[in-house]
Amino acid sequence: MTFKQSLFLGAFALLTLNAAGQEDDLFALMDIPETTEFTYATFKGTRVINAQSNETPGEGVLQYVISHRFGSFSNDYLYNFFGLDNAQIRMQLDYGITDRLNVGVGRSSFNKVADAFIKYRLLRQTTGAKDFPFGLTLYSSTNYRGARYTDGVDHFISDRLSFHHQAIFARKLDESLSLIVAPSIVHWNLVPGPNDPNSTFHLQLGGRYKLTNRLALTGEYNYGSNYEYSDGQRFYAPFAIGVDLETGGHVFQFHISNTNAMSDPLWMATNPYNPLDGSLFLGFNISRVFTIQD
Amino acid sequence: MKKILTLALIALTTTAFSQQYLTREATLSFDAGSPLEDIYAVSESASAVYDASTGKLGVQVLMTSFQFKRALMQEHFNENYAESEKFPKAQFTGVFKGGEAIGQLTIHGETKDIAVPCEILEADGTLLLNAEFPVDIESFGIAIPGTVADKIAKEAKVQVKATLKKRA
Repeated sequence: MTFKQSLFLGAFALLTLNAAGQEDDLFALMDIPETTEFTYATFKGTRVINAQSNETPGEGVLQYVISHRFGSFSNDYLYNFFGLDNAQIRMQLDYGITDRLNVGVGRSSFNKVADAFIKYRLLRQTTGAKDFPFGLTLYSSTNYRGARYTDGVDHFISDRLSFHHQAIFARKLDESLSLIVAPSIVHWNLVPGPNDPNSTFHLQLGGRYKLTNRLALTGEYNYGSNYEYSDGQRFYAPFAIGVDLETGGHVFQFHISNTNAMSDPLWMATNPYNPLDGSLFLGFNISRVFTIQD
Repeated sequence: MKKILTLALIALTTTAFSQQYLTREATLSFDAGSPLEDIYAVSESASAVYDASTGKLGVQVLMTSFQFKRALMQEHFNENYAESEKFPKAQFTGVFKGGEAIGQLTIHGETKDIAVPCEILEADGTLLLNAEFPVDIESFGIAIPGTVADKIAKEAKVQVKATLKKRA
């Protein structure tokens, strides 16, 4: 083979290779490069159970939540018709001003507490081109006790106020498992004695595990910095386990917990029920969303 | 030496005559609505490729790029139906022949052979691709629970519109 011939062959080979390469590459060309995606549906509802999740309703979405906590197993359970006779109720109406900002009001029967809250998704978990490992949602509520005091003392309106502020760190670890860690502060304007702390610190841990696309197990535990007060009251750390069921615009949350109050400071900081005494409550939250603005 | 030059020229012209067309801004929409519920989503960032010399045609879309009017519906689409974390993309690969796109359609990790009407028109050096075809949702393994069966169409109407530019 002469030099020229080999050159010719080489060029021919290159040419055919080139053409073949183009063939195979055609479908590779359309491959969409990785984009950055906000992690969605870390939780189905705006609450894990009692604890707030990192989720907010989308922009223009009005959410109505009705919650019940039935009577304790330890309190004449059958006589009280499975606890239904002493059910506590909370109603909540909230609105998504933007995809990140959510405001709402609620009313609980326990202590006749009215509350207002604001919730803001500061950071969102992302995957894809840019990974951000967790979401951070801020939540704050103001609670007004409507129940009359029975201590015979004249109370200021400010005595009736209590507050709850928290930072909810959330991570969707995989398709099924999501967790929250939420350091929180509860502040009471009025406490039993001068040596009792007005503010207590709480750490909420919660999670959900998806069994199917529409069914998930949930659980949460809440540790508080002070459960004993000078007037002899003794409180217990609240916990709950439950099931989330989602159908279209509804989320049904059924659970069992050792709390029956639903306004934030009450269930978190002053829960008098010891689960070891059998003080456990069945309950549910049902949310329905209405898209007000498309 | 002359021969080598000629060959080089041939090689160059072959490359220049590449008949590949591409876009990353194709519009891909679907309508799976019913009289009870308006379910419509559109992605403006689908990609499409076409090789005019071989007739090979490909279309791809990221499931999470579909925009719905309602954020919750979009979340449900990704989380409960398309399962976009598991199956991030839907795509068609095949050929364009005699007014039809013939090949494999992959949605939700399931691949099916399809042959659907398709139109490719030339205009000012670009190609306009138009296709509209039904997709049987459950045949791609996407389960629709009984409680919402009345609200979601059995067949989604898919529409693809793309302006493909010649690859340099």
